Parts: sequence; C-alpha cells; structure tokens
Amino acid sequence: MMTDTQWPVFEVFHQQARGEPHVYVGSVHAPDAEMALLLAKEQYARRQACVNLWVVPADAITASAYEDADIFDRSTDKSYRESWGYKTPKTISSGDGKDSEK
Amino acid sequence: MSTFETLESLNGRLRGAVVDLLYRLADDDLIAGHRNSEWTGLAPILEADIAFSSMAQDEMGHALAYYQMLHALGEPDPDTLAFTRQSRDFRCASLTCLPNHHDWAFSVLRQFLYDAAETVRLTALSQSALLPLAQLATKLRSEEKYHLMHGRGWVLRLGDSTEESHQRMQAALTNLYPHALGLFEPTAADEPLAQARICPREEELRRQWESAVAPVLADAGLDLPETVQPIHGGRSGGHPEALGQLLNDLQLVHRLDPVAHW
Repeated sequence: MMTDTQWPVFEVFHQQARGEPHVYVGSVHAPDAEMALLLAKEQYARRQACVNLWVVPADAITASAYEDADIFDRSTDKSYRESWGYKTPKTISSGDGKDSEK
Repeated sequence: MSTFETLESLNGRLRGAVVDLLYRLADDDLIAGHRNSEWTGLAPILEADIAFSSMAQDEMGHALAYYQMLHALGEPDPDTLAFTRQSRDFRCASLTCLPNHHDWAFSVLRQFLYDAAETVRLTALSQSALLPLAQLATKLRSEEKYHLMHGRGWVLRLGDSTEESHQRMQAALTNLYPHALGLFEPTAADEPLAQARICPREEELRRQWESAVAPVLADAGLDLPETVQPIHGGRSGGHPEALGQLLNDLQLVHRLDPVAHW
C-alpha cells in the first residue's frame, strides 16, 4: 500500500434530512476531527442538501478481508430471507378484522 | 420607527448614502473573492484548495447581489461595474486587495479578519430599517457563518502549531491589522445611515469587530500590534498599487472584446 504523506484520513458521512440515515460519501485529509468537519462541508455538502455530517478517523474502522469475501456467498436457496419472497398486506390490520387486506 | 420598504422609497442624501454603502460592500466582496480565488489549484492541500475556492465564489456571489441592488438604484449593470471601472472608482478597503505572495498564513488570517468583519456588518444589517437590505443580509449571513468557522479553525491551529507557523502568523497579523481597521473607515454616509437606522456607524462596527477577533487571536497565541494607525483611503478611491494589478487580471478578458456575448 502507498504511504500517505498528508494529514490523517477521515471518512465522511452525510445526512440529507433529519431522520434519514447518514450515508458514506468519501474521505478528507485533516489534522483533526474539527478541521475534518470544516473541510468536509465544502467537499461533500456544497451541492446536495445536508443537515448533518459525521467524520470518523479512517483508522477507527475495522474491515473484513476481501479474500474472505466468500463468507458472504449463499450456497443454498435463501430466498425465504428476502422480503420479496412474501406477500405483504397493503394496510396494517388493526386486529378487529375491519381493515384487512382485500 | 420608520422603515423603508423598497429601494425606490429612498430619496436625496439618504439615497446617496445607501449607494455609497452598497459600493463598499460590493467592492470589498468582489476584490476579496478575486484575491482568494488566486489560491485555486495552489493551496497547500486539495481539501483546503476546494474550501477556499468555494468561499471565494461565495464572496463573488455576494458582490453580485449588492451590484444588482445598485443597478436597481439606477447605477450601471453588474458586469459594467465589475469589468469597466478604474481603480479610483472602487470603494474597497486596502485589506481586500493586498497580494497573497504565496503565503497561506497571510491569506487565511486575512480571510478570518475579513469574514469576522462581514459577520459583524451583516448581523447589524439584518436589523436594517431598509428592508430589502435587511433581507439580503439575513440570507448572506449563513454563508458568512461558515467562513468565520473556517478562518477561526486555521488561525487557532497555525497560531501556535510550530515555531515557523507562529512566526508567519504573527508577521501576517502585524502587517494586516492596520489594513483590517481600514474596513471601518468613516465616510460622509455614516451619519445619515445611522440616523435612518439603515447601518450603524463605522466606529460602532469597528468596536464590535475588535471584541470579536481579539479573543480568537489571543487563543491562537498572537499579539496585537500595540499602536495601530488604521490605513484609510479605500473608501474614497485611494488604493495601493496592488488593486490596479488585480483589476488588470480581473478585467483582462472583458477588455479583449467588451461587447462579446457569453
């Protein structure tokens, strides 16, 4: 791996509206977390709407190894784990039988 | 207290005072924005480059908004104002036009001192009795809030990071402070603007600015020069040679073909 001679790397997560998940958008180099937030604002939030940013030191992340990617493979049919494998009611039943699915 | 709902409701001496104020605001932003844009592609690291360039665009956007207001008051259109006036026609303070000399310490300190002044001024103008100006100031203030956070972040870190960074920042402060005070050069417009509650007197804004920047500079380990003579002249068209050179760059393409359509 190439040695990075710049400041430490912070990974940046962007939230478009309150209640939405923070989504990973990229990284910035910065001397500390506060400056990372200031610099991330112009890199990642100057075009799309934003209400909140997270920055996380890249070295705080523990990642799985790509050579172990086969652990995510499915050897047998696991469609029962997918929501599309089931019929879903259009309305939630209140339990009194009045608004059950047609 | 009377308010002015529209620009058209201004008359006589007060109208002239508002025009004077708008030229100062617009020219400060255009020239500061142009100077800061000279770092595009050259700032110390990519992230700093993008942030600084983006803020330079913000300042030019603010200048355009003020030029449009001037145009509504009967002055020439924004392009004519930006691209055809001579140095002596500009009303910017000297702080905005000083060359960067490839010194990042100088440029981020100027950005901090300038945007602290903008924040003070826009906060005051957001309460202006001239409602279109109050609305514009309120709108521009959120971008200035970020600019101030950015400048403060750099000043606090470079002020006492290494021996070299401290020395560069201290030298920049000693150099820049008298020019920064020139942002508050009094003009004949002060009295009518203050009496009409359109903009506070420059000396009042200067006091607010001094109490805003002093604690940050102290936290950064930087010493204010002991006696300072503000550098005035910009508000009446007296500028350092550097402004003429900057305008040569800024207006170069326009001069090649003044009637070209883009």
